[in-house]
Amino acid sequence: MARNRTFILYWLALVGFVLLPQLISVKYYIHLCVLALIWVIAAQGQNLIQGYTGYVSIVQAGFMGIGAYSTALMGMHFDLPVWLTIILAPFVTAFFALLTGYPSLRVKGHYFAIVTLAFNMVIFIVLMNFHDLTQGEAGITGIPKPGGKDALFNWRDRETYYYFVLIIAALMTGLAALIVRSRIGQILVAIRQNEDLVGAVGIAAWKYKLFAFVTSAMFAGLAGAIYAHYQSFINPEIFGIAQSLDAILAVIIGGSGTIAGPIIGAFFVVFLPEYLRFADSFRLILYGLVLVLATIFMPRGIAGIARDLMEKRRGRT
Amino acid sequence: MRLTALTAAMVMTAGAAWAEEKTLDIGVSDALTGGGAVYGLPQTNAVKLAAKEINASGGIKVGEDTYMLNVIAYDDKANPTEASNAVRKLIDRDGVKYILGFCCSGATGAVASFIEYEDAVMLVGNAAERSITTREIPNLTRTRPPADYTGAAAGTFVAEKGHKRVAVLGALDVGFYASYVDAFEKELEKAGGEIVSREAFGLKDRDMSPQLTKIRGQEPDAILVVGYVEPAAFIYRQAVELGIDVPRYGFTSGSEDQFTRVATSEQMEGVWDLRPTELTLLSASENGKAYHANYTEEFGIAPSPSSPYSYDQTYALKDAIEAAGTVEDTEAVAEALREIAVPDEVVMQYLPVDDKMFDENGQAYTSNGAFQWQGGNWVFVQDLPSDAAAYSAFLSTLDD
Repeated sequence: MARNRTFILYWLALVGFVLLPQLISVKYYIHLCVLALIWVIAAQGQNLIQGYTGYVSIVQAGFMGIGAYSTALMGMHFDLPVWLTIILAPFVTAFFALLTGYPSLRVKGHYFAIVTLAFNMVIFIVLMNFHDLTQGEAGITGIPKPGGKDALFNWRDRETYYYFVLIIAALMTGLAALIVRSRIGQILVAIRQNEDLVGAVGIAAWKYKLFAFVTSAMFAGLAGAIYAHYQSFINPEIFGIAQSLDAILAVIIGGSGTIAGPIIGAFFVVFLPEYLRFADSFRLILYGLVLVLATIFMPRGIAGIARDLMEKRRGRT
Repeated sequence: MRLTALTAAMVMTAGAAWAEEKTLDIGVSDALTGGGAVYGLPQTNAVKLAAKEINASGGIKVGEDTYMLNVIAYDDKANPTEASNAVRKLIDRDGVKYILGFCCSGATGAVASFIEYEDAVMLVGNAAERSITTREIPNLTRTRPPADYTGAAAGTFVAEKGHKRVAVLGALDVGFYASYVDAFEKELEKAGGEIVSREAFGLKDRDMSPQLTKIRGQEPDAILVVGYVEPAAFIYRQAVELGIDVPRYGFTSGSEDQFTRVATSEQMEGVWDLRPTELTLLSASENGKAYHANYTEEFGIAPSPSSPYSYDQTYALKDAIEAAGTVEDTEAVAEALREIAVPDEVVMQYLPVDDKMFDENGQAYTSNGAFQWQGGNWVFVQDLPSDAAAYSAFLSTLDD
């Protein structure tokens, strides 16, 4: 019964997302929704490693950068079609995630967080300084939209891109739900709760942790690739540690270890700074304050609070 | 009596309606906070000042209509995503068609990548990355010349001073600073000189003594500092503290106020800034002096040398709109921008190409100048070689 209700809620949410552009008269908010949906993909990935496995990774934006640059560079240098480079980008990211994941997952807790933070810094420095390949701080411009010249849809129209990203975000959310409901997902949760016990019953925890880390990176790589083709411009600035922290915040604020959480959190981290613009130069202070308060008073995130409220209401009836 | 008052009120109201002025919203996207704010905030103020002056002198005349300017400014924090958001908001939500500002290259590049497809005109100020005006974007113009245009002139100047071994300390991961140094090196090498060391620092770094210590060991004839004002000021100060007694050249465009927040005037004494001939009070034209005085009165602080790029943008936009005879047709205004002569009100000393302020790439050129810190002020010492026509032709051959 409860599962059916959740299912209906997800469908209602999807219908709401489909109708959203028709309800928004100012295109700017569609632009923000596109960015938020891209963040949904990245945050669902972050949730796999952080929310379900219990390992806080601070490299999600770095992996987004790898995805973004790989799709742009493959298109530029090998003349591959946009669709193909978007599909390949998560695999390129996975390769780098494998290289970095194997050593970094040998440590736990804060040490893992610090190692991944260092990886994000390395990615950022390489993007900034490998000028011949990445064009450094100036960035890569003119990244083509999907579809080409004779496309069926106008990909420059934000609404078209919105529906494209919505489909991908929904699919990736569905994939994340499938993973966490599978045996693998159960083992990931078990690792979060007691990794030693998982090892004691004969499960090679490292394989599952590596799976979560690489899958998380693939989500980020895909998000980065979609971002690159949406903005038509990338430079290292947007793939720094601050953005990785945003991915972590999206998971915490939305609801760590829930499927709905990253969706809510992604919209939160994109829209809140915009709505605080009225506060001018104080907005970052306000943003920080809201985040601190939310983390202290809503440790289970917005999804957790919503669930508590629903259960309370159900208890009364 | 009552009737008379009512009649008078009606006449006044009717008169007011007849003389009703229209408002033209113009947008500014610039770094109002963060590291780029040393350039972005003064640029934003300069647009506001120009708009106020234009309004005070009767606004922009388009046929029978008169438009008063209203400035809507958003902080892009010199961040590409923030800049895209700010500009999309200006266009989509606020209905703005003319967007000015743009102090920093990364953020500007992001907006330049999509502005061609928008019903808007983008006027770039201080951002010096060359590729911004090599993409043949018809609705984009820039008042500041690219960094390598100035770097080549600086290289010639330093070579003429007789320096053969120059050590570079710069924010070399920033594209336009690197291109300045590359162009500088080319000219230095022509005269038999060389760059003996290229040391880098981050824009947020404040302790550059390790790099300076290494440079001191290489015994260069001179050092060249390229980067944002604050780290550059720290370098000049720390060079003195470390006893480095060679001429210090730079490419920073900071004001006296901005430098003396970090280094004393004594520590700055003798430093050269080799940059476009931007605003300094001692060398300013009549327009420059008036701009300096009005800006200082309006905002309670002296303007930065590069801030007039956006002040001049505003007057260029005014002339272009009046020439096009429309505020709605952005294509016509963009075309007019490429045709106008240098407006009378501008502060910078532009070198027109074919008698036009902007060349076919939408690029304007100022002369380059050598400024030296003398007794607490930047003093204009001499012009640097600046062949705008030749550089414009070269720029047209590039396709980034």
